[in-house]
Amino acid sequence: MGKAVLVNDKDNVVTAVSEVRANEEVSYQVGSETRWIRANEDIHYGHKLALTKVAKGNVIIKYGEIIGRAKVNIQPGQWVHTHNADETYTPSK
Amino acid sequence: MEFAGYVRPDGKVGARNHVGVIATVGCVNEIVLSICHQIKGTVPVTHQQGCLTVSSDLEQVQQAIINLGKNPNLAAVLLVALGCESVFPEEIKAEIAKTGKPVELITMQEIGGSIKTVAQGCEVAERMVLEASEIHRQEVSASKLIVGCKCGSSDATSGLSSNLVVGEVCDLIVKEGGTFLFGEVCDIMGSEQILARRAANKEIGQRIIGAVNGLIARAAAIGADVVGCQLTEGNKKGGLTTVAEKAIGATTKSGTTSPQGFINYGEVAPTNGGLWIIPTPGRGFENLTGLASAGAVVHLFTTGLGAPEGHPIMPVIKLTGNINTWNRLNTHMDFNVSSIIDGTETAKEAGKRLVAELLKVASGKLTKAEVLRYDESMNILTYGPVI
Repeated sequence: MGKAVLVNDKDNVVTAVSEVRANEEVSYQVGSETRWIRANEDIHYGHKLALTKVAKGNVIIKYGEIIGRAKVNIQPGQWVHTHNADETYTPSK
Repeated sequence: MEFAGYVRPDGKVGARNHVGVIATVGCVNEIVLSICHQIKGTVPVTHQQGCLTVSSDLEQVQQAIINLGKNPNLAAVLLVALGCESVFPEEIKAEIAKTGKPVELITMQEIGGSIKTVAQGCEVAERMVLEASEIHRQEVSASKLIVGCKCGSSDATSGLSSNLVVGEVCDLIVKEGGTFLFGEVCDIMGSEQILARRAANKEIGQRIIGAVNGLIARAAAIGADVVGCQLTEGNKKGGLTTVAEKAIGATTKSGTTSPQGFINYGEVAPTNGGLWIIPTPGRGFENLTGLASAGAVVHLFTTGLGAPEGHPIMPVIKLTGNINTWNRLNTHMDFNVSSIIDGTETAKEAGKRLVAELLKVASGKLTKAEVLRYDESMNILTYGPVI
């Protein structure tokens, strides 16, 4: 069984705090409640997995804020990183 | 909420009662260190500045030296000058003296060499330490506290645990009427629009964005892309996907309240409470000095892999959410928040625990960086070229 951390209730990703194997059930806390998500693939410590489906072009939310945008459709339990998420930050003019 | 601090003649409250031996220019660092190694109760304030930089940087350095001297963690100040520096030692002395604390100035080229200057400095420092030892701690409101923060040698646990805990402390200190200082420009970069939206007014927001744009422009002036290199290969390997993610994770240290103002590097924060933004760099030497010159008397330093540095003027509390770092570098780590990664404690709960520790340190409990004397390296920020 794997372990992950949800930072903010609005987030659509959690961050693995164990080395997660494909098809492993991963637990995370929402307040005092423990929830589970099945990992679709191997996910390294410190990397993110999607909690919900994120359609191409939709935003990735962590800390309750937008941290990136899906380049492709992302499924629940899938690894979220630079291969399937884009930068949203551009410096202010 | 209270702590036992040293109430200074200007009404500010220190967490320490050091005699500061301050170099006006990097050329006298050796003299400062010799005096401090000889006289118990002194702290050496050394740096690489004070000469041969552009005038705006000299002004910033002079301002920072003055305000380091004014920091209420110093009971008295011995200024060590060379004699030909580009900052003005007499002006520095006069400004620090306005706080009402004892200040003396010795000049190496006038005294005639380092041996005699060290001897004279030791005599002054001995007297200052003896006088300072008669000042006692008093219970004061936590609203008198000025707290700084930064993150260093971060890893995946930083944004998930220790930075969030510092954010909780920031909110709690601000709620008590205390002052919290935040601002590593490199780490704000990517979250400056979010922080600016949170600011108490539009002008503060514009200055936050301006600080980030200033860093981008300074890098561009020498052909470097500071945004492009912000997310390192190591960051990506560790799981960070975007600059925004890295920045927001770092900015969580500033809690949820509105920034009440923005001060430049070297300036002093007002003592009317709230979250204030100061454009310090990420590098510890200049960062910690910027916060100490702004008046911070205690510092919260989050780390993932184990950054060891303290600062001569401020106690620096090291906290980590990485259990391996807590165990392996335990002689450097003051506070463990790996419970958040384990899911056995919330950031809110750990924040209350950290406030209690902060008040203890502000009241005299030593940090490991102080005990290890891992707190002598420092520098003052300059923006322009060395000439």
